[in-house]
Amino acid sequence: MKKVTYIEAITQALYEEMERDEKVFLIGQDIGLYGGVFKATKGLMDRFGAERVIDAPISEVYIAGGSVGAALVGLKPVAEIQFADFITPSMDQIIQQMAKMRYRTGGSWTCPMTIRVCCGGEVGGGLYHSQINEQWFFSQPGLIVVLPSTPYDAKGLLKSAIRGNDPVIYFEHKRLYRSVKEEIPDEDFTVPIGKAAIRKEGKDITLVAYGLMCQKTMEAIETLEKDGISCEFIDMRTLRPWDRETILESVKKTSRAVLVQENSKTGGVMAEVSATITEEVFDYLDAPISRVCGLDVPMLPFAPPMEHFFLPNAEKIVRVVKKVMEY
Amino acid sequence: MAEKKQTAKKPSLKQVGLSEQGLMDLYTNLLKTRLLDERLRKLFRQGRYAGTYFSAVGQEATTVGPTYGLRDEDIIAPSHREIGASVTKGVPLDVIIGQVYARRNSPDKGKSHPCHYGYRARGVITPASTLAGQTIVGTGCAMGFKILKKDNVVVAFFGEGSTSRGGWHEALNYAGIHKLPIVYICQNNLWAESVPATLQAGIRDFADRAKAYGFPGVTIDGNDVVLMHRTAAEAIERARKGKGPTLIECKTYRWYGHSEIDPADYRQAEELENWKKKDPVLRAEKFMMDLGILTTPKREALVEQIDQEIDAAVQVCEKEKYVEPEEAYNDVYSEDFPVWRDEY
Repeated sequence: MKKVTYIEAITQALYEEMERDEKVFLIGQDIGLYGGVFKATKGLMDRFGAERVIDAPISEVYIAGGSVGAALVGLKPVAEIQFADFITPSMDQIIQQMAKMRYRTGGSWTCPMTIRVCCGGEVGGGLYHSQINEQWFFSQPGLIVVLPSTPYDAKGLLKSAIRGNDPVIYFEHKRLYRSVKEEIPDEDFTVPIGKAAIRKEGKDITLVAYGLMCQKTMEAIETLEKDGISCEFIDMRTLRPWDRETILESVKKTSRAVLVQENSKTGGVMAEVSATITEEVFDYLDAPISRVCGLDVPMLPFAPPMEHFFLPNAEKIVRVVKKVMEY
Repeated sequence: MAEKKQTAKKPSLKQVGLSEQGLMDLYTNLLKTRLLDERLRKLFRQGRYAGTYFSAVGQEATTVGPTYGLRDEDIIAPSHREIGASVTKGVPLDVIIGQVYARRNSPDKGKSHPCHYGYRARGVITPASTLAGQTIVGTGCAMGFKILKKDNVVVAFFGEGSTSRGGWHEALNYAGIHKLPIVYICQNNLWAESVPATLQAGIRDFADRAKAYGFPGVTIDGNDVVLMHRTAAEAIERARKGKGPTLIECKTYRWYGHSEIDPADYRQAEELENWKKKDPVLRAEKFMMDLGILTTPKREALVEQIDQEIDAAVQVCEKEKYVEPEEAYNDVYSEDFPVWRDEY
């Protein structure tokens, strides 16, 4: 067991998967010579060479679409989109090619591949270096979407993504890169895609979050527990296909739910979770489901007070949970 | 390469670079493509299948020529007007017709729109309708071949209109940097649906675009199947040897509308008549007759034989069922992730 940061866990997963399978290769901007703008791919070009760690031109369309093609002829591409903000040019290739390849060819052509997308706020990144945009991919059949919150999951989910048979959008939260550290096993392990993690058991209310919001929620839970509210906390980890069973079972037990999402509220992941809880286990609910989300404005205004104002935090979560408990 | 608007000179087999049998095969594929295409148009008009049909009549040489001689593992990255590439790659006729009919024998099981031909066993990638999509994905296949150190090639087909898309440029730019094993075939048929080539680009010869990416671009007569084959075969050989891509622009013309629901009334009748005089099938026939390889009775026998093949394949598809509607749930993901099924 060794203590590693979230970004070190990602680098380890890439390194180990490239060692394990020579069909795995990386493509992205600044990932080779420079080792990535956040150093996630540091040292990989030295170890595996420029043919397997490709410094791409500024071509997000090609990075995504070219990776689809490489997957069609048997490679296992791991592409990097440097910031989720810059993924928009790739959308055509991700939605029309990557997500639909298996479907439109009746399963005769498939493109198991991974796109790593660096995302998220609370880093002073402003409007164009803070976005997540997970909701666009969340709503797209054919894609797997994950967003880990711990080093263990970051490593285990990336390995599952690379080894899997489906196209995966692997979001990694840049605020978590160096702010979380934990011991992870030395031996090989994976984390299953599609399974949420119950981070804490409790009986009064179910809290659901993913990514950076897991930290904020855990922080809020410390306060809430002191006030005698027993919280169950679920980290979704995989957004698509999301773990309905774990969340629905938890809500059946606690009868209350607060859903926390960093991104804007409208059309977000938690809107779907909320609707499903209502459809499936309405009879168990003792209070309306509430969401704590980023503001419904472009993510994320730059000036520090506005950034802070935009994002959900422990105080906001505590207030909303208390309101739901008092209902 | 400054070579432009070549035309086939006096016929000689040596110049063609094919044996007599090879030339006959090339012609047979061309003729089969024409007869199959005209049959599928007719069947659409008879209401035999849903959707629409995208005819490639008039521009068959642009797909048959480059595809002839490719290996099974070489990739075809088509758009929707490349029936000739499927025919020439050896995709069975009932599979091609089954795709148009959206029946159970279609490789895509009826999920894709007519003319989105794909067939894994012959390296044909079922296209998306988003134009230049397969140019980008095909370039990725070529990147894959290079990484895997295989000597396979990709032939990507698209119209002149597709070259206006940003992603098309990103792909060719990348192929130029890494000298990828790919040949780009631009079928300049003068009309992108209803928009003339003059409103598509400020250049007349779309092959000029290759200059920006550091590899050769040539403009040739796309209605000369022998020239199409010879030019593409050289480029394919070059790509196979690791010398990088080539952009081949072929000047051609589609005789009918963008699809069968398009009357193509944006074009002048005279333009069409002039291009019909340059019919690629008639030209190939004349070429072969001049060489003494083809005779009128031989041609008639061939037409009859192909018509019978088409009849048989149509019969198979007429009898074939659609897949069960629940098939809609399959092929979203691998078996690892069954999709959620709501009941109403």
